[in-house]
Amino acid sequence: MTITAPPDRPPRSDAPPDPFDPVPVAVHLRPPRRDGVAERFAATDPPRGWDVAAHPRVARVLHNRKLQFFLILPNQLVFWLVIMLGLLGTVVPGLNFGTAITWYIWFCLVFVMMVVVGRAWCAMCPFGGFAEWIQRRTFWQRTQKTLGLGRKLPEPIARYGLLLSVGSFLLLTWIEEFFNIAGPGNPMDTSLMVLGIVTSALIFFLVFERRTFCRYVCPLSALIGSVGAVGTAAGFRTRDRQVCLDCKTKDCMRGSEEGFGCPWYTWPGSADSNLTCGLCSECYKSCPSDNVGFYLQPPMTSVVAPNRRRADVAWSVALLWGLVFFQQFNATNVYNSFDGWLAKYTGIHYPNPIDYLGIIVAMAALVAGIAWVASRALVRPDLPQPLLSVKRSFIDKTSRFRAFFVPISYGIIPVVGADYFARQLPKFFKHAARIVPSVGAWFGAGSTHSSLYNTRMLSNPSIVVVQVAVIALGTLASAVATWRITTRDLAPVSDHPVATRVTSLAIVAAVGLTASILYVLMHAAS
Amino acid sequence: MSVIDLPTDRASDAPPDHPSVHVLGDRCAGCQECSIRCPTGALTLDSTTWTVVGDSSTCVGCRQCERTCPFSAVVVEGPALAGVRVPLVHEHVTDLAGSRTETRHGIASWADALAEAARCLDCPDPTCVRGCPAHNDIPGFIRAIADGDLDTAHAVLRRTTFLPDVCARVCDQAVQCEGSCSWSLAGDVPVAIGALERFVADNAPVPPLVTAAPPDTAASDGPVENGGRSARTDRLEVAVVGSGPAGIGAASALVAGGAKVTVFERDADAGGLLRWGIPDFTLPDAVARRPWETLVDAGVDLRLGHEVSAADLDLLPFDFDAVVVAAGASVPLRLPVPGGDLDGVWDATRFLTAAHAALAHGTQLEALRSPDGSGRAARVLVLGAGNTAMDVARSARRLGAEAICVDWMDRAFAPVRPDELDEAAGEGVDVRFSTTAVRLEGEDGHVARAQLAPTRQLKAGVTPEVLSGPVAVEEIDLVVMAMGYRVPPELLELDGGTLVPRRIGGFPDRRWLGSGIFANPAPPFARNQPVGALARGREHARTQAALARKERTWVVGDALVGPATVVEAMAQGKRAAEAILDRQPRRPGRARPGGERVLVAVESQTGTTAARADALAGALVGAGADVRVVPLTSVGTTELAWADALVVATWVEGLVVAKVGPARATSKWLDGLPPLAGMPVALLCTYGVSPGRTLPLMRASVERHGGRVVAAEAFGRRSRSAGAGGNAPEAMAGALLGTVAVRAG
Repeated sequence: MTITAPPDRPPRSDAPPDPFDPVPVAVHLRPPRRDGVAERFAATDPPRGWDVAAHPRVARVLHNRKLQFFLILPNQLVFWLVIMLGLLGTVVPGLNFGTAITWYIWFCLVFVMMVVVGRAWCAMCPFGGFAEWIQRRTFWQRTQKTLGLGRKLPEPIARYGLLLSVGSFLLLTWIEEFFNIAGPGNPMDTSLMVLGIVTSALIFFLVFERRTFCRYVCPLSALIGSVGAVGTAAGFRTRDRQVCLDCKTKDCMRGSEEGFGCPWYTWPGSADSNLTCGLCSECYKSCPSDNVGFYLQPPMTSVVAPNRRRADVAWSVALLWGLVFFQQFNATNVYNSFDGWLAKYTGIHYPNPIDYLGIIVAMAALVAGIAWVASRALVRPDLPQPLLSVKRSFIDKTSRFRAFFVPISYGIIPVVGADYFARQLPKFFKHAARIVPSVGAWFGAGSTHSSLYNTRMLSNPSIVVVQVAVIALGTLASAVATWRITTRDLAPVSDHPVATRVTSLAIVAAVGLTASILYVLMHAAS
Repeated sequence: MSVIDLPTDRASDAPPDHPSVHVLGDRCAGCQECSIRCPTGALTLDSTTWTVVGDSSTCVGCRQCERTCPFSAVVVEGPALAGVRVPLVHEHVTDLAGSRTETRHGIASWADALAEAARCLDCPDPTCVRGCPAHNDIPGFIRAIADGDLDTAHAVLRRTTFLPDVCARVCDQAVQCEGSCSWSLAGDVPVAIGALERFVADNAPVPPLVTAAPPDTAASDGPVENGGRSARTDRLEVAVVGSGPAGIGAASALVAGGAKVTVFERDADAGGLLRWGIPDFTLPDAVARRPWETLVDAGVDLRLGHEVSAADLDLLPFDFDAVVVAAGASVPLRLPVPGGDLDGVWDATRFLTAAHAALAHGTQLEALRSPDGSGRAARVLVLGAGNTAMDVARSARRLGAEAICVDWMDRAFAPVRPDELDEAAGEGVDVRFSTTAVRLEGEDGHVARAQLAPTRQLKAGVTPEVLSGPVAVEEIDLVVMAMGYRVPPELLELDGGTLVPRRIGGFPDRRWLGSGIFANPAPPFARNQPVGALARGREHARTQAALARKERTWVVGDALVGPATVVEAMAQGKRAAEAILDRQPRRPGRARPGGERVLVAVESQTGTTAARADALAGALVGAGADVRVVPLTSVGTTELAWADALVVATWVEGLVVAKVGPARATSKWLDGLPPLAGMPVALLCTYGVSPGRTLPLMRASVERHGGRVVAAEAFGRRSRSAGAGGNAPEAMAGALLGTVAVRAG
């Protein structure tokens, strides 16, 4: 392929130097490329009027350096309480506030926030927040010298983007299954798990720069990032892209006296989804031109609209679908007999890493396999030139297979997200009321006999109905998203538009149907 | 626009002896900071993915991209294709006796100059220009050399420096321009910028200094009588005290700007340190004399042998419109050692002046005469092993003496140029680090022996400790203390008691942050000193030189920052001159061209304070002032250097009654103010319930920095809504402008 070469540098000026800032006389930066910039971002730029920060009061709050501290602080207190109560409190999981709040309430809340807002949790996360306080050596001030080695994540790992995070999520989930932490089991296990996350976050924050942990390693990052695409927070985006292109200092990325450089490696000037915006507001604070806004967007914009579809997100979605499928499937009798059969031969009991990983990878591979077959049948072999002749890195590589697989993976994000949400519902509906006796337990008032301990908000059949409804809603959202993605991404590369549309919608339907059937079979098992 | 093939973005595609550039797609945000700065255009934005792709085939490995990528998304591997630097000859003088031969030589031929010029990458964002204290357009003059146009090259240099021939010889380029060269920052050998500058300065004719026509001023308003003195001549008249590099910088810029310049020099020769401080073998007399020949030709009134005392400094502002004090740091430091008061214990100034004269006239220095008439060479002990000490020792060697330099610092931390050290050693100077003189013994009141003890210094910047090891005794005929200088107390008083620091903390100016000079830790070539931090410190001092330290009195050079370098002093002198030309101050009795300049610094949270400040600004404009309203946090030295008067407007922070005071940003800003040199200041605050002690606190802070508060007003909610105090802006404007007008005479 060919693209235009960067324009040559502006001519030297013979004007006498400006005594007040003499250096720019000698600076002859090449002009940045800006051709096609408006079209490139047209679909992903949030509506101009949806800038919440345009309101002076919001602007004041966002400019305040203590904002994130006060978002993190309550969660910080709760999680240290969880750790402490897990170690010292009652061993009855349902009566231990630590386990109750973590598994009955928090996990559900995170999913709600994810679907509604995006990375809202990341802005208030006590794990990264705690480590970041130490890394920055401050609770809220802008400091110049950070603690730790400030390394970059090695390129061979970083090139796979979110996949490292998926890996750590799979590992954590396996550990959680192994010790039955989320059951919830022994509260001490929950404490140790939380402590483990805090410790590993701290280690990563002290070894690597910025929020390398959050961006690449955090077990929830891939899930929140990809499912958060459904959310209505576009995050911090540029108000006028030309101002960003003209900016020679990029304070939002490098940091200035008012704010740190983006900890998430995101530039508001080119952000086209909310995938990597941690909503920390540092760019908003540091922009010298007041050119960053905090934008809302119509739901699913970040699923449907991005021009740059990332392979790491696609594979993450496929693997996350595999994981949630496993978590449903393992509550069925079929799985039990299969696992028992496997245990006989391998001597490993539940959770057997072989069938755990095997099923997850198989499910992801199934999606990819269908996509591969569909791409052979539907995607033109002679893809439009710009997509093929560039050897790009893993994330941006192009091929016939990817031309089909990546967009449809984005399309199933809503239904996969709905599946994760539905998975949490039984615990919430059955046990959320236990939070009251678990608080009472501090004062000796809570007991397993108390009525609230045994109060269920919904019966099992009702829970199943809600779960199936959630999946139906997710499937519908996915279908809408996929319809639009097909029109935008797949139609130009296919000679069979109708077949392409039918195939991609069928994949969405298959995922939704599988999940629904499994929920019926699970009988509202936690 | 040409069309190129999109490169393959794979590091491994490049051959092993060629650099490769690789962009991490996941982290690249497509901000193009790298591609707009790449000297060779090896980086291009791929607008499909909105990430940058690298073309290893055109990459030269300078790593500007790595240094400037805000997200560390660019990786360059492999060698830098810096090419081979033309050899620069350091002549080893075999017959030292009486020699004044320059030991360092420039580029010998056009061919070499062209070859060296071709090594310059002509970086779009040249870090070398930031590294140069004078901000010479280095790529600009080197490109002119490459075009074969020496006159243009010289003209480009002369835009920012008056001493290219001197600086090319005496600058320590390794920690300045060459230390900040892209090649150097990439760990390779930098372009020989100093040698190229010397090639231009030595081979292109020195152009005459063109002076601007006297500025068109308000003289047509008619004569202003004051004490019988007529102010008909409206040309800016400036006195410069001192004719060293700082004085040269100031005088050259002032005379070029059309001012009438009078220079007072206490010595019989003009040039200060250039004449007596730097030996001929580094800076030949002919070169050192050249600047003053040009300046005198341009009409500078040079008064030699004219000492200006501290009392004179108070009077000069009444005879001149502005005074530039460039008197240097002239008080030598002495080692408090027993026997330090013996005869034959000199300071470096005395020795260098005497040695300079002796070498120039081909005579022997009396103090270095063979002590016992036996023909044995005299032995000189130089205390210190810095650059001045090397000059002393090498001069002593040329006068037939043996020289020992001792310095109590560890060699690794000593601030001496390695090349200078090598040359000194090559000339037979015995340099001993981690050694100090603990006692000087005399015979008949004249120094005869020195006891030298070992020392230990574990870290840079830590005072070395004297060890109780064996003490060596050396027979000595002369001791020269060359441990540095300090600013005389009367000048230090002008600085407000403290020197302007050349190393500063805090956040760099955002215009500098994007440059690659900060992003890299120190390359070995800069001798483990971070060139970015050094350059930034120098720039801070240069900026500070724009501010008057006392009414219409500017201090520049070593007198401002303590002992520093020739080029820094010159740049500061130039900067002060530019500020004076911009301000056009006039002494009492002379009409000043242009309106009064008022800077309104505003810290507003909800817009109430800003509205108040705007009302005041409106009143000031109505009264004929030239007004700039600037957010308080953006007001720095440059803005203050522009202003005749200052308004500080702030909101009041606090919990109704507790901790009520100026907004925190305002307090912080007031604390960090530079000297205001009697500038009239008006204070304004807006409050909700009570202003508390806001105004007194602000007043105290302003007065601590030498400002004069002429008006202070607090505006509450009621005055805001009911329009009470409606004439307050006019009253404040009147008070402020009245004071400025009185000040200006």
